[in-house]
Amino acid sequence: MLKISNLHASVEDKVIIKGLNLEIKPGEVHAIMGPNGAGKSTLGYVLSGRDGYEVTDGEIRFNDKDLIDMEVEERAREGLFLAFQYPVEIPGVSNMEFMKESVNAMREQRGEEPLTAAAFLKKAKEACKQVQLPLDFLKRGVNEGFSGGEKKRNEIMQMILLEPSLCILDESDSGLDVDALQVVAEGVNSQRDGKRSFIVVTHYQRLLDYIKPDFVHILADGKIVKSGDASLALEVEKSGYAFLGQAYEEAEA
Amino acid sequence: MSQWLEQVIDNAQDVSDFLSPVRQASLSELKAQGWPGKRTESWRFTPLSSLTQREAVSAASVGEATVPVIENLDVIDFVFVDGQLVTPFADVDLPDGLRISKLNHVSGDDEEAVKALFGRIKPQHHTFGLINDALATQGVFIDVAKNATIQPVIRICNLATQAVDAHTRVLVRIGEGASISVMEHGEGNANSLTTAFAEYSIADSAYLEHYRFALFTDKAKQVGGSHFRLGDHARLNSTVVGYGSELSRLDMDIIHAGEFADAKMNAIYLLAENELFDLHTNIEHAVPNCTSEENARGIIGDGARAVFNGRIHIHRDAQKTLAEMNNKNLLLSRRALINTKPELEIYADDVKCAHGATVAEIDDTALYYLLSRGISRSKALVILNFGFIQELVNEIPKEVIGAWLLPKLSARFSQMEVK
Repeated sequence: MLKISNLHASVEDKVIIKGLNLEIKPGEVHAIMGPNGAGKSTLGYVLSGRDGYEVTDGEIRFNDKDLIDMEVEERAREGLFLAFQYPVEIPGVSNMEFMKESVNAMREQRGEEPLTAAAFLKKAKEACKQVQLPLDFLKRGVNEGFSGGEKKRNEIMQMILLEPSLCILDESDSGLDVDALQVVAEGVNSQRDGKRSFIVVTHYQRLLDYIKPDFVHILADGKIVKSGDASLALEVEKSGYAFLGQAYEEAEA
Repeated sequence: MSQWLEQVIDNAQDVSDFLSPVRQASLSELKAQGWPGKRTESWRFTPLSSLTQREAVSAASVGEATVPVIENLDVIDFVFVDGQLVTPFADVDLPDGLRISKLNHVSGDDEEAVKALFGRIKPQHHTFGLINDALATQGVFIDVAKNATIQPVIRICNLATQAVDAHTRVLVRIGEGASISVMEHGEGNANSLTTAFAEYSIADSAYLEHYRFALFTDKAKQVGGSHFRLGDHARLNSTVVGYGSELSRLDMDIIHAGEFADAKMNAIYLLAENELFDLHTNIEHAVPNCTSEENARGIIGDGARAVFNGRIHIHRDAQKTLAEMNNKNLLLSRRALINTKPELEIYADDVKCAHGATVAEIDDTALYYLLSRGISRSKALVILNFGFIQELVNEIPKEVIGAWLLPKLSARFSQMEVK
């Protein structure tokens, strides 16, 4: 599904990703952990195609297509979804209008008719309930005045509605209390169907108690330095990133 | 002085009717003021170079024009094409309490009423208002009886189809406790010049719902204005929509002459290519206890230019005034330009007032967010822009007008996407 080979990427001429390799097969859940500044969020932005995140070397194949050549919106329509760490507030644009356009863009890609307002409303209400957001959040401006936790749940709601094939969750657990964490995790787990793949970027092992990863990778200084199964996350939780060397211990402290 | 203005003054000598004393006075004032130049504050950013070499001629015959249709709107139209009224008056069936007469065919009894309005509400400092005073023999006088509630919208269309000058005038007298909706709707893209001025007297406790759509484009020049005087407890709700052209300028004046009057004005402008649109507004709080709210929002793309000058003047006696004004602009390109000047002049000490102006560019983070959800760039730009002005469209009192306007604005947006 996704194959990243020798990826090098920079932001404003600063090299952040320095030779990253990662392969994800359908249905797999990969957790990416690592100290601050390792390039975790950058990886998400590079995959989604954000302006200013420049690939300088390497290759990314998504569904056997060259991802780097695609525009941001083409990547999304191809099935790539990034749940943002800090979703932007867009006052004046209703959440409902935004998501309807988005869902219909996906449907158009698949050669399906756009949903009627009523059909969309029904789907949106279900998704809204699933992430335990009050229904009036559909009418409000996109993320406008939402709390941190509400923004994260709104991201998961979009994921549920858009039915992507690869979901990248960028610290979807940060700033959440245990209840909100469970809601987010349940939302994610409900979308695991054996075909859909996930990249779960997180700082803490906590989220992985709820979303069980098949693989855990440690990202440090722009490269994956260690990979393992779920037990690697527990190890990191217990002893930190000491095994990476002195520099990272200090960064984490 | 320009060649065009000299011809205008010549042409004005031939106009003779019951309004001649006012016309002559305005003509003298016009000569005294002269041609506005770069140093004239109210024309600083709006060059009149497209007029200097122009021939001041009126239409020999009327061109073919299609009257724009607003679906599902209950409307009575009076259509001027190239400055000539083409609506056959005899065919128009008016509701009770409403009388409308042609400006060049006013009955003896109405002459006094017309004289009491013509040039009495519109301030004398508008150069093109003075020109209109001198030359506008085409126009209508709308008289709404005391306590009458008029359902259909009265629409005055100015359609420009030829390279000629058109001068039309609208005079509206709304009796005590009456209510009416009036729309001034201008369109065209010929190498024309339209001056369309309107004066409204809104008596005590009366209500005017007003629309001014200045949708002239390309070489169709327009300079016009709507001017309102509000009595005690009178209310005004006005919506202005402007496109830009080689020269497009509107002056709006609201005069609170009676206490507890309330005025609301929303203005939207959308400019593309090398268009120019200039909106000057002035609200005079001459008496205490009145309220006013003004929101002007514009989107400027390509190499277009917008000018906004919004003034609120609170006189010394106008205590307990509540006045708010803001101007928000979105620039879509590096070449787009806005000159905005909100002005608040306060001489009373017990008032609540606010004013502000913002200029923003496309929010790249918001755009990226929409793109990352699969929405196309052009659609995303429209969604973000609509959020910005749709609020004003949603505030339009008549939903069918909003429903007509929205897709029109949307179509114009898609032309403006320069990226």
